[in-house]
Amino acid sequence: MRSVDERIARREFVHRATAMGVGLGTIGSLLTACRREGPEDEHEPLKPLGPMEKELAIYSWSDYIAPTTIPNFEKEFGVSVTYDTYESNEEMLAKLQSGAQGYDIICPSGYAIPVLVALGLVARVNRAYISDWGNIAPLFINPVFDPDNAHTVPWQWGNTGIAYRKDKLPITPDSWSIFHDARFRGKMTQMDDGRDVIGSWLRYGGHSLNSIDPHDLAQAKAEAITAKGNLKSYISAPVKAQLISGDVLVAQLYNGDTAQARAEQPNLDYCIPKEGCTLWADSLAIPRSARHKRAAHEYMNYILRPRVGADISNETGFGTPNQAALPLISHPVPYPTKEELARLEYQRDLGKATAEWDQVWTEIKSA
Amino acid sequence: MAGVRERALAWLYHRPTAKVWSLLSPGILWLLLFFLVPLLIMFAYSLMPRGTYGGVEAGFTLEHYRRFFEKIYLAILSRTFFVSLLCTTICLLLGYPVAYVIARSGKWKSLLMFLVVLPFWTSFLVRTFAMIFLMRDTGLINSVLLKLGLISHPIAILYTPFAVMTGLVYGFLPFMILPIYASLEKLDLSLLEAAEVLGARPVARFWRVTLPLSLPGLVAGCLLVFIPALGSFLTSDLLGGAKEMMIGNLVQNQFASARNWPFGSAASFIVMALVLLAVVTYLRVKDRAADGGR
Amino acid sequence: MGSRLPKWLIALTALVYFFLHLPIFVLVAFSFNASKFSVEWTSFTFQWYRRLLERGDILRGLRASLIVGAISTVVSTLLGTLIALAVGRHRFRGRTLMEGLLYVPVVTPEIVVGISLLILFVLIGFPLGLGTIVVAHVAFSISFVVIVVLARLEGMDRTLEEAAMILGADEITTFWRITVPQLLPGIMAGALLAFTMSFDDYVITSFVSGPGSTTLPMVVYSMVRKNIEPSINAISTIILVLTTLLLYLSERLTRERPLPGTRA
Repeated sequence: MRSVDERIARREFVHRATAMGVGLGTIGSLLTACRREGPEDEHEPLKPLGPMEKELAIYSWSDYIAPTTIPNFEKEFGVSVTYDTYESNEEMLAKLQSGAQGYDIICPSGYAIPVLVALGLVARVNRAYISDWGNIAPLFINPVFDPDNAHTVPWQWGNTGIAYRKDKLPITPDSWSIFHDARFRGKMTQMDDGRDVIGSWLRYGGHSLNSIDPHDLAQAKAEAITAKGNLKSYISAPVKAQLISGDVLVAQLYNGDTAQARAEQPNLDYCIPKEGCTLWADSLAIPRSARHKRAAHEYMNYILRPRVGADISNETGFGTPNQAALPLISHPVPYPTKEELARLEYQRDLGKATAEWDQVWTEIKSA
Repeated sequence: MAGVRERALAWLYHRPTAKVWSLLSPGILWLLLFFLVPLLIMFAYSLMPRGTYGGVEAGFTLEHYRRFFEKIYLAILSRTFFVSLLCTTICLLLGYPVAYVIARSGKWKSLLMFLVVLPFWTSFLVRTFAMIFLMRDTGLINSVLLKLGLISHPIAILYTPFAVMTGLVYGFLPFMILPIYASLEKLDLSLLEAAEVLGARPVARFWRVTLPLSLPGLVAGCLLVFIPALGSFLTSDLLGGAKEMMIGNLVQNQFASARNWPFGSAASFIVMALVLLAVVTYLRVKDRAADGGR
Repeated sequence: MGSRLPKWLIALTALVYFFLHLPIFVLVAFSFNASKFSVEWTSFTFQWYRRLLERGDILRGLRASLIVGAISTVVSTLLGTLIALAVGRHRFRGRTLMEGLLYVPVVTPEIVVGISLLILFVLIGFPLGLGTIVVAHVAFSISFVVIVVLARLEGMDRTLEEAAMILGADEITTFWRITVPQLLPGIMAGALLAFTMSFDDYVITSFVSGPGSTTLPMVVYSMVRKNIEPSINAISTIILVLTTLLLYLSERLTRERPLPGTRA
């Protein structure tokens, strides 16, 4: 990690280079790219935030919130909220990494948080402003992706298991091995995401879904390629329509999406495979460049109210980390039992090994 | 006012280079500043080691360019070239007749031209999901064929190479039709009539008069289909079932999930270099032919 | 004229139009369908149109897309046509190189354009928003306009222009009265392509947009993770109907007053 002074000097240089015009600006950008600010100084005490701002810019997923959440917040706090959307964590990450500013709240998934922290892109949460902290379920306190919840407040959670049509299958799936069953050839799908596909076959082989051991990965790759012959396609959330219509009978899918699709097709069921699968949680974080930090904190605290949290989960179909909200939810997703928890695993950031994983994914696709 | 105008005209008249550059400079400056400069940044990226969390680290390496020449990537490259070439051919075979009919349709011209692009003023994803609805096993096409008794079991359309090609042709057809239309529209009908009077048969009239005159539009159309088709990635994912990769997917993945920006940039620059080499060679040949003909 | 087109040619053209519009019929039909997942026809409803009134994000996205599309189409068509005139009408040093250069934006993968432009904007301190989206869209559309207009320009009959000059028209008058009307179909085709690409662009836009400048395609893509609500079909249907109506009206107006230079 660089010293604060050096960082400032570098930033100063970039600003000057920019002022000198585009030619020098290009050099400056290369420096920006090389600059690693490193994590925020964890020992520096958090400063009190100023008065409430009049604006708040949220950068999140669309349709991942209740229709009333923002209007009520605007009314109560006198804040005008803009809500912009992204399609994937990587898109949001690349954007912040390139230096985009102006967002006050982002909603990264667990595995993206250590990256945001390592790149120094998110600020620490000042707990003094989160008076409803006690509403968070123990499962989401001190999570692996953000020790001590230093940078995040949990938003929604779920897992990635197997959705299936119980009316059209002669068996009840309970294992990833269903994708090796040639009887259902051409009627099954896995997610179009290397982390999910390779992860499922790592679990099947008895390994962690975060393994970077070349031997484990080679084994998972072989299993995935065998399964690929039986797959109709690699497709993520949009598979819901084909599960409802019966074109697809077995699909690797999120539990929340299965719940949404079940509203139109009651014969849909869902299982957490016996070998285990991904547990994920999306959280709220505040970019370091945020200009409305007080409003961002108030928003984080606001969503921890029981009514607000319940409305969000009622809308999305996913689980709420807000245990005070559970009694208010029409179909609450129960927290995993101890036995289930042993089978669920958080995705961690793979660091340097991300490239090796991508190579394996490319090889699976090219097989 | 008139004085200024005349002086400006005189100035331009005596300085042909100044005239050329006053036409060129606004657009070219825009492209230089907002296209080439950013591309130079990316080129520099492609020569640097990748950062653990995306971006790059200081240093210099040719590793990313070397890596692209591994067998697996070359296979992806050659498949992409083949798919794009086939797509361009089909677009040409379908698009040329359509452009011809539009150009000859008198007062319906602008309506017909407009109807070519109208479908694209909806959202790509919704359009593609509509195609999925048509193509899937329980979809509209299969239901109709079953009802008519033409087939007894649903035929697999979705998630086949046929579906990908259909989607690509659909998406790129306007890029073929519009330039061909633009060059056919100016075609002087009297030339065709002269050819007819002189006894040329319809087929000969087409090969000897119409086609040569519309060649600039045809070439422009082929380039505007072939080149962007090389970079397409969503169509093969959504309609092909994402079971194979095109160069577009590879590049997208390097930035989106593999966090290997320099390799993604290197792959892009290799493809770009190949295409530009071909285009510049073509332009040279064309210019020489044009100059020779004068 | 036009009556001598062979039947098979007309049939083929009709088939291509059917192919292009079939998915659009499906899209429109699903805007009236009660099923949330557009799986199959369940029952008729107007609820997705009513829902639009609640979906401020879709309407704001549409507004942003229209503003960006209109401005970037005008700018890129203007700049592109000027370049085409220079490249197509004049011989100058480096012309082939310049023409080759014009193909660079066509070849560059979108994500590379998006990230590299974002880096540039951040560097020169250009605040992200509708302005940066317009700049980016112009940058990737110019080439398409140039290529289409050039296709029209090449081999265009210059006798009319020469006749006008001989009859005493100055260069600017000739340009506006003769050259532009003759070029118009090419310019129109280029503008249509530019608008269409701008209106449907996602990858580049998502990188160069800023807070409060989410365009319609961004709203739609972001819905994929959950479900693309049929209200998107509803808004698409409204766009289709309105543009067709506008086109019909402008057709009526222009037919009464033929453009100068068009042949009867």
